[in-house]
Amino acid sequence: MTTGSIIALDIVIAVLAAASWLAAGATAATTALSAAGVSEPADTADHGRAGTASRRRLAIGLAVVAVIAILARVVTTIVLIRAGWWFAAEKVLIAGPLALAALLVAGPRVVRWVKGGRPPVVALLFAGYAQTAAVLVTVLHGYPVSSAAVLLAFGGVGGATMVTWRLAGPPPGRAVSRAPVVVTVAVITAGLVLVVAQRPAPAVPHAHGSVAEPAVAEPTRRFTLTAGTATVRADGREIEAWAFNGQVPGPPLTATVGDVLEVTLRNRDIDRGVTLHWHGYDVPNSQDGVPGVTQAAVLPGEEFVYRFQADQAGTYWYHTHAVSDIGVRKGLYGALVVQPSGTQVRDPAARGTGIEVIVPVHTLDGRSLPEAVEDTADAGTPVRLRLINTDSTTHRYALTGAAFRVAAVDGVDLNRPSALLNTAVLIPAGGRYDLTFTAPATPVGLFVDGRVVWSTGPVAVPPQAWPVLDLLTYGGSVPNPLPRADREFTLVLDRGLDMHGFLPRYAHTVNGAADPDIAPQVVRSGESVVFTIVNRSLVVHPWHLHGHHVLVLSRDGERARGSPLLLDSFDVRPGEVWKVAFRADNPGMWANHCHNLAHADQGMILHLLYG
Amino acid sequence: MRKALVVVTTVLLAVFVFQFVFAAVGAFTRPAGDGAYLLHSVTGMAIIPALCVLTVLFAVLARAPGRVVGMTVIPLGLVILQALIAMLANSFTDASGSSTTLSLIIGGLHAFNGIIAVHVVVGVLREAQKLPVPGSVLTGTTT
Repeated sequence: MTTGSIIALDIVIAVLAAASWLAAGATAATTALSAAGVSEPADTADHGRAGTASRRRLAIGLAVVAVIAILARVVTTIVLIRAGWWFAAEKVLIAGPLALAALLVAGPRVVRWVKGGRPPVVALLFAGYAQTAAVLVTVLHGYPVSSAAVLLAFGGVGGATMVTWRLAGPPPGRAVSRAPVVVTVAVITAGLVLVVAQRPAPAVPHAHGSVAEPAVAEPTRRFTLTAGTATVRADGREIEAWAFNGQVPGPPLTATVGDVLEVTLRNRDIDRGVTLHWHGYDVPNSQDGVPGVTQAAVLPGEEFVYRFQADQAGTYWYHTHAVSDIGVRKGLYGALVVQPSGTQVRDPAARGTGIEVIVPVHTLDGRSLPEAVEDTADAGTPVRLRLINTDSTTHRYALTGAAFRVAAVDGVDLNRPSALLNTAVLIPAGGRYDLTFTAPATPVGLFVDGRVVWSTGPVAVPPQAWPVLDLLTYGGSVPNPLPRADREFTLVLDRGLDMHGFLPRYAHTVNGAADPDIAPQVVRSGESVVFTIVNRSLVVHPWHLHGHHVLVLSRDGERARGSPLLLDSFDVRPGEVWKVAFRADNPGMWANHCHNLAHADQGMILHLLYG
Repeated sequence: MRKALVVVTTVLLAVFVFQFVFAAVGAFTRPAGDGAYLLHSVTGMAIIPALCVLTVLFAVLARAPGRVVGMTVIPLGLVILQALIAMLANSFTDASGSSTTLSLIIGGLHAFNGIIAVHVVVGVLREAQKLPVPGSVLTGTTT
């Protein structure tokens, strides 16, 4: 089992434990009431006694289930500790003591009840509250363990138990009941005070002094992109979209290494503003297109001119970074392809020595783009499919009918990629793979999630059972001593409650905080930086650092053994731990975020900063 | 307060019924785009929890017996569990986000839990209606 499924299983077991304790308590309460003659009419007393006995058995059975679930949770917790302390911290420090208290309080009383004592209603419910608090801590604020979470969990359990006591149990004497009330109120108050006090100081000032950037030569390639609302046809439907130059995707921008690109962005009527971010293209900071960080959003009627040198060949894409979740989803994206120097800039449709096809996959209002294209390719023709995932979720690609190589990932060529047959590839949100192959005489088909998008004839849908390529063992390794880390950061990805202004939200968090409360990562120019990225949430987070490609060092402690992987978008799945490194060689203030743009919107974005 | 409890519980029950309708709306929206389950999500994560809290509050204010107050807490717990089940179901999908047998089984519990919650709310409503009307003894003696 993967660590990700253990994380989920652990929550399922914890919920089962909580539900069992609570149900045992509620069932015990009904036996207590009928024993006191509250709800059973006298003429059904015999029947009531039989019912009471069976309910007593049920309650005891439920308590046994709860104990078994707690023991199972000990096992899952140990497995998670072995995977990394990040996954288990709150389970050991908060859930552990709570579960132990539940066992110590409820256990002996249930045993006494079995021997004929009184139904331990309050004790069972206390165990249920303790276990519920344990689940809530994991789900609402698991990492890092904070004293506020500890106080609120313990105080909450105490408070709920006292209310129950008042409602269900024998009324304790006034003097006895006052002390725990005071303690509980104090604990909860202290917890709340800590929640307010511990909120990290607002992150960096978002406006920063611009860094000196090299002057850019006269442009050799000029483009104009005008953003506006438009009605586009997709899949036979008219869809209200946001489009560059009235089309979704926007026009593909092509260039050759050495070109200087000048792209004029105009906004016709996108009220919330637009920018252009060159995804994966490590441009100078001022051209990065992040509103509020590297420029102001371009509002209706305004324009912004981007100018940068094309010095990396490969497959990239551009998209708006202003209200990026909605903007990209509604269609403000397009391909950016840079050919190696020495080749002529060519239209992707133009047929020269080989065939090149750009496949930017996107989901536009529930419709899958691009629409299927049937092409012709003479046997022996070299083919390059430039696959771009512009959605916020992973897509599964499968090529049938030919052996292929993954020639490049995220624009960077791989070293000695081997031929693959009947193998699927998973491309993370924002990621790009270049597949190359020589066209055979028989048809070839490219499928995305089982839907054909490009083919050279009739082809059958590839089976779902194909193995998935693991990039970390693909291609030839290069003897390359790892750079010594000058600076290391750990990013623990999770979900948690967060105050956004005065409104609480269930945010996607990094180290327990959500944007704009995440402390910036400050490094020095020239340093070698290592990120350890840990996903303790239940969903995949496609990580994307602006302005740099990162070298993958290891995943879950296993070193990358294949071709060196320089990525700008990589999926950190639930339970995974990635170590990546990069050289701080492109000064500025860079967004560092989850490229599931809804997650970024809900807090999962921070900034890397150096001058 | 007894009346308020009856009213808020009735509203909660009605919203629960609509919540099933909204689930069907999500399931039958074509194309199954971004906002198919929006009504279902907003109702389930904002309106229903708020009504559940009000139910507990009014039960306490109406000085309902502990058993009834306890019953009013159950829907709140089930609703929190309901959101958790939806999250867990999504976490058991495969790497490209497609459903698996396990994710569908857990997703199925979402429906099951919903049915249980409705039954509990019906039970709360019955109990609320049975609560003694304040002042009824007095009215009885004067007429």
